[in-house]
Amino acid sequence: MNEARESTADDDDPGAVAVRHTMEVLNRSLADTLRAASRPPARARVAYGPASIEVEWPVSTVDGVVPVAPAPAEPEPDEGLVAVTAPLVGTFYHAPEPGAEPFVAVGAEVAAGQQVGIVEAMKLMNPVVAATPGRVARVVAADNEPVEYGQPLILLTPLAEG
Amino acid sequence: MFGKVLVANRGEIALRIIRTCRELGIRTVAVYSTADEDSAAVRAADEAVRIGPGPAKSSYLYPPAIIEAALRTGAQAVHPGYGFLSEDPDFAEICVQNGLVFIGPRPEVLARLGDKVGAREIMRRAGLPVVPGSERAVSTAAEVQATAKRIGLPVIVKAAMGGGGKGMAVVRRWEDLLPVFRTTRATARSAFGDDRVYLERFWESARHVEVQVLADEHGNVVHLGERDCSVQRRHQKLVEESPAPGLPPALRAWLLDATVQAAAAVGYTGAGTFEFLVNGDEAAFIEVNCRIQVEHPVTEAVTGIDLVAEQLRVAAGLPLTVSQDSVRPKGVAVECRINAEDPDHDFRPCPGELTEFVAPGGPFVRVDTHAHPGWRISPYYDSLLAKVIVWAPDRAAALARMGRALEELRIAGPGVRTNRKLLMDLLSDPDFRAGTHDTSLLRA
Repeated sequence: MNEARESTADDDDPGAVAVRHTMEVLNRSLADTLRAASRPPARARVAYGPASIEVEWPVSTVDGVVPVAPAPAEPEPDEGLVAVTAPLVGTFYHAPEPGAEPFVAVGAEVAAGQQVGIVEAMKLMNPVVAATPGRVARVVAADNEPVEYGQPLILLTPLAEG
Repeated sequence: MFGKVLVANRGEIALRIIRTCRELGIRTVAVYSTADEDSAAVRAADEAVRIGPGPAKSSYLYPPAIIEAALRTGAQAVHPGYGFLSEDPDFAEICVQNGLVFIGPRPEVLARLGDKVGAREIMRRAGLPVVPGSERAVSTAAEVQATAKRIGLPVIVKAAMGGGGKGMAVVRRWEDLLPVFRTTRATARSAFGDDRVYLERFWESARHVEVQVLADEHGNVVHLGERDCSVQRRHQKLVEESPAPGLPPALRAWLLDATVQAAAAVGYTGAGTFEFLVNGDEAAFIEVNCRIQVEHPVTEAVTGIDLVAEQLRVAAGLPLTVSQDSVRPKGVAVECRINAEDPDHDFRPCPGELTEFVAPGGPFVRVDTHAHPGWRISPYYDSLLAKVIVWAPDRAAALARMGRALEELRIAGPGVRTNRKLLMDLLSDPDFRAGTHDTSLLRA
């Protein structure tokens, strides 16, 4: 019932030109989609085979597209903050191992791509990284707390890139 | 019996499973993607865990997220519904490894029957006739041509791990054989992660008849009669009914009996469906669906047996509540699948928000749906919006009742179209009314 949309062209496919053309069309409409959007996507995928574009938008920035589980509201101080959210359902850890220093503390500056925590799912440790640079304003999810996909974990005050 | 069950699915089937759990006093956990926030299943369940984003591969098809949700909520069993991970032996195995009961056949049975080309061989040895075709997967052009020559055109090229009507294509001309073989293989690789394909003789005019079985761990295997699912568009079932109209009584009796024996022979447990093509007095096995099926309410309507309740009992190690003698199908039940599809654009799915949704009601009408006004039909999943099931003492009355029910159904929303008119037209089709139709009825 779910079409996986990945596909590759056969190397010996004489329709390589058609493939290239399809990809060009897909890329163009992806570019159009992104231009029309107000914010960057979390992920984009272009496929060939039953032609397809998938754009995944970030789930929860604090200006709040998706209302997330009762994160104790405090709406005012959160103004302008950016949430680092859980990349998958699992258990959130502040530190690389029990008793170790947490990855980040309130007030710390983090760079884009920097690890700020771990979500463990099925015994696999998945790094949680900041998508954008910022200063840690608040750590909203407790250490060892079960979290759902997209749940805010850490709030950052955005800093200019670089 | 279980205290808590996680339902690893979405839409109408998740809601349907939750309903039976509630009736049995079992607590439920729904899992949902960000595209299904506030769905009917989420509302109906005792607890809900958001497991991922809209694309199914990161949510409903992502085992770690589902297992995490089950473990953290203390669920003892996982009901996979249909589609998604329902026939994935690896997922079933992962459930077992994490101390969870997978509600379905054992992983090794799933693996053996999920491989459709292997299943053909198993069933042939278990005594079922199979549609003429390849004995194993075909991988080279020479093999494909030799096999097609042996069985004759038209042939249907199918993915070994395919299902749900996906990954299959019919070849009627020799010059199309190799191109179709290559594209089907590419589709199979991308959709099912396995590019093995096989060939079967394609029967232009056949009936699709399937037998519902239930089996427990105590050696009890019963059939719940058959369903006819010959009304299909592009290998997708649209209308299902039980009993199969016009099926010769002797052939019917043989099919039911042979299916029970084959199910017992492979050590099947839980609810399953054995699919056959019927051509006159001939029947041939095509595949087994190792899960609850979309059209199961048709069987529930004529037998009065709750299939999901039996699945739960079997998974909990309890014996079936029914014996073969107690299964006494009565009357005729028909199901129509209401899909959000655009009839003016080749029935392509049309996502959008429902501004109006009024389900039919009245005597002997059942509607299984997750839709409601304000519901947003997501582009990420299949287009099934509702199933309308009716029962009546005989087929003519059942079709009249279905016509009345479809007239009552009201669905509207910006850009939302459905196949309702196609279904209404079908109800007045002379072949369909006479029960003499076959799978070619809706072939364009």
